[in-house]
Amino acid sequence: METGLQGMLPFTIFSQGGSVVMVTLLILTGIITLSAVLNLCSSTPQYQKPSTVLLLLINLFMVAGFLWICWFHWQIYLKLPLEMEQSLIAWINRQLDVMNKGSSYGLPLLDAAAPPRYKIPFWIENEKYFFWFTCYGIMALLVQFRLQSHRFRAILHLFLALQVAILYIWADPFTSPLPQFFREIAPWFSPGQSLMAKAGYFMQLYPKMIFYYNAEYMWFHPPLLFVSYAAITIIFITSIFMLVKRELLVEKVGYEYAKLGFFMLTLGMLLGYPWALKAWGPNWWWDPKICSSLMMWAVFSTYLHTRLYANKKFMWYFTSFLGILCFLAMIFTFLASFYFPGEHTFQ
Amino acid sequence: MKRKSSYDFYLILATALVLFAISVISIYGMFYFKFAQIQQMAPALKLSYMDRMNDFVTPFIIILILLLGICVPKRLLPTVWLNRVTLLLVGTAVLTAFLADIKTSLLVILGASLFLQVIVLTLALAGSKNLNFHKKGYWVRLGSSLIHLGFILLVLDLLLYERKILHLFLFWVTTGASVAGMLFCFYAEVVVGFITGKRLSSSEINI
Repeated sequence: METGLQGMLPFTIFSQGGSVVMVTLLILTGIITLSAVLNLCSSTPQYQKPSTVLLLLINLFMVAGFLWICWFHWQIYLKLPLEMEQSLIAWINRQLDVMNKGSSYGLPLLDAAAPPRYKIPFWIENEKYFFWFTCYGIMALLVQFRLQSHRFRAILHLFLALQVAILYIWADPFTSPLPQFFREIAPWFSPGQSLMAKAGYFMQLYPKMIFYYNAEYMWFHPPLLFVSYAAITIIFITSIFMLVKRELLVEKVGYEYAKLGFFMLTLGMLLGYPWALKAWGPNWWWDPKICSSLMMWAVFSTYLHTRLYANKKFMWYFTSFLGILCFLAMIFTFLASFYFPGEHTFQ
Repeated sequence: MKRKSSYDFYLILATALVLFAISVISIYGMFYFKFAQIQQMAPALKLSYMDRMNDFVTPFIIILILLLGICVPKRLLPTVWLNRVTLLLVGTAVLTAFLADIKTSLLVILGASLFLQVIVLTLALAGSKNLNFHKKGYWVRLGSSLIHLGFILLVLDLLLYERKILHLFLFWVTTGASVAGMLFCFYAEVVVGFITGKRLSSSEINI
């Protein structure tokens, strides 16, 4: 972590607090995994009440971790304003004025009394996994209370344990928080910058601040999609159960989460559209991420349409198959950002 | 009844097939973009790629719009009448595509479908002797109508994105219609409960 920033933000406290959360989550999910494996192998329910308590505790720690991330973002907002000399502000405002004249979506002019600050939502870089898996945890808890099947609950718990493992091994948001963001802004906060160098850095940072980090759509587009992804995971589990056994209550729960997931997915995708026009201009259509999102939406839409006839024997299995396909499409769409180039890439 | 439910069933299968085709085109687009390194290309070549993909997908969008043109109003208007109107629209789409281009064809279909969907929405809003706002079925039908109207408006918005003010207006109408439609369609029981002021079981709310 760049030295200039180290003293400005409470990285150590944040990382240490986060470690407590992650280690506790790992221990709790380790215990719930044992219970899940036992229940999968057993024909009768085992330790259902303790597993419910464990699931509740896991959710409490996940929510606590999320609030801890919120606190860190608040620190970023307070302690990392892009302050600069009055003469530089005047010069930059002249440039922005000229730029804004020819542009559909301009950048706000600077005010020396109110320097621009980062209002970063709580789901960027590794934090997005934490938010996504917290949503899944909450949904798993709600489903736990709806469905009594010990094997179904076991699979819910195993998925949650897998997600916590992914967080701990690959996507810990606490150990080295927001590395890409801090790499981008570190030059600004390095001492001994000339005015012109600062101007240059500012013109790189400011558009990204306005159209990405501080974009109002950032508060809606990603979280809606992550809630949808969590719901799709529930649909996946119910679809697998539907293939094994025709149980109407499982189908009903699956359908409820299908409706929620589709609602969130559609709204999330819709809110990405004006943001893309604003941030990228018009030439992003048929970008790989857009293609995969269209594909996922089409699969999900097909799934919901065929559910209308789920009571027919063939359609019951076809719908279950589509529910599984929805999940695979979701994983593919998410991973597309790592493998395919384009505007929406994480490469 | 059996005939009507078969008609519904085949409409759903047709919709599923069209959505499957759109999915395949989308996946093709992804891999083509990557292997042809479209992001490295000059803007004119990028636009050419986008135009080509638009040409692939437009016929399926037209079919989807025509299908949803039948899907929602089939309970409100006579099926024979709907089928005839749909055939007329198909003929118009094909003719326009040959005489002008596929984009003009899509615009014509969008205009006609928008007109039809507004009529359908008005009929759905008005309800009927057996289906009024105290019944779950009323809200499901109204919601479905709004969702499909939202889809048509979205496609129209995609064609008109360059006109910023019109685009933003269309976009928010689309979003409003889609959100309201999904709420009414998916949570019809909750809506009925809210309106009637009491919590009703599924058996008390007639479909």
